[in-house]
Amino acid sequence: MCRAHATVRGVLNGLVAQTGRMAIVDLEAGLEHLSRGTARHVDTMLVVAEPYFKSLETARRSFDLARDLGIGAIHLVANKVRTASEETAIRDFAGRHAMPVLAVVPWDDAVAEADRRGVAVVDLGPDAPSVRAIRAVADRLAPTTPG
Amino acid sequence: MKIAVAGKGGSGKTTIAGTLACIAAERGMPVVAVDDDSNPNLALTLGLGAEAATPPSLPRDLLAERVDEQGKSWLDLAVPADDVIERYGVAARENLRLLVMGQPQHGGSG
Repeated sequence: MCRAHATVRGVLNGLVAQTGRMAIVDLEAGLEHLSRGTARHVDTMLVVAEPYFKSLETARRSFDLARDLGIGAIHLVANKVRTASEETAIRDFAGRHAMPVLAVVPWDDAVAEADRRGVAVVDLGPDAPSVRAIRAVADRLAPTTPG
Repeated sequence: MKIAVAGKGGSGKTTIAGTLACIAAERGMPVVAVDDDSNPNLALTLGLGAEAATPPSLPRDLLAERVDEQGKSWLDLAVPADDVIERYGVAARENLRLLVMGQPQHGGSG
């Protein structure tokens, strides 16, 4: 690992470990950051997966790595789910691999529309289906908010 | 609470992370959203312009090398984390600051 990369790792680790704020870290896509241990100071990991096999397989490997890091709470968040049969397929896969499903976020055209307009989806559609599902994620993670 | 959001590229992890950050901030919690992706676009998901996605260069003196009794060394933050968030973060909305970690700009030696 080069020095610049080590600086970024060190700052991220210290930041997450020491800040009094709620921290939400959007990790690098894929698995490399998990094997490097970047995320070891978080208490919760959300693994986002789409309803198709390659995405679920990546999620399963992410779960294994997160367990190895000793992260206390690891949850699957299914995303872009269009049909009941997609939801069933995700829940079956998750059940077989002991991956708790925290939420099923439906496919939502508001996400792409917000992206086109350069606004946050919570501002474009506070009651859009995806936003409602993510509010439920917030409720389940911290039922006694704020805190 | 410290939450990491992982997933395959294209899974929508950035949308989930950004929306969750907005919702927590809306509920009155001070939140830092950290973009650790080498292709940073969490700023866009928070409704910020592309210029907010440009990572600050984090000076090396933010870190101090520590050594434990076994002689194992590691890099630890040498200044309070909340100072780093204030100084290098971008105000995204009330209660929410975005910090883009950035990645080394050169290829091949990371």
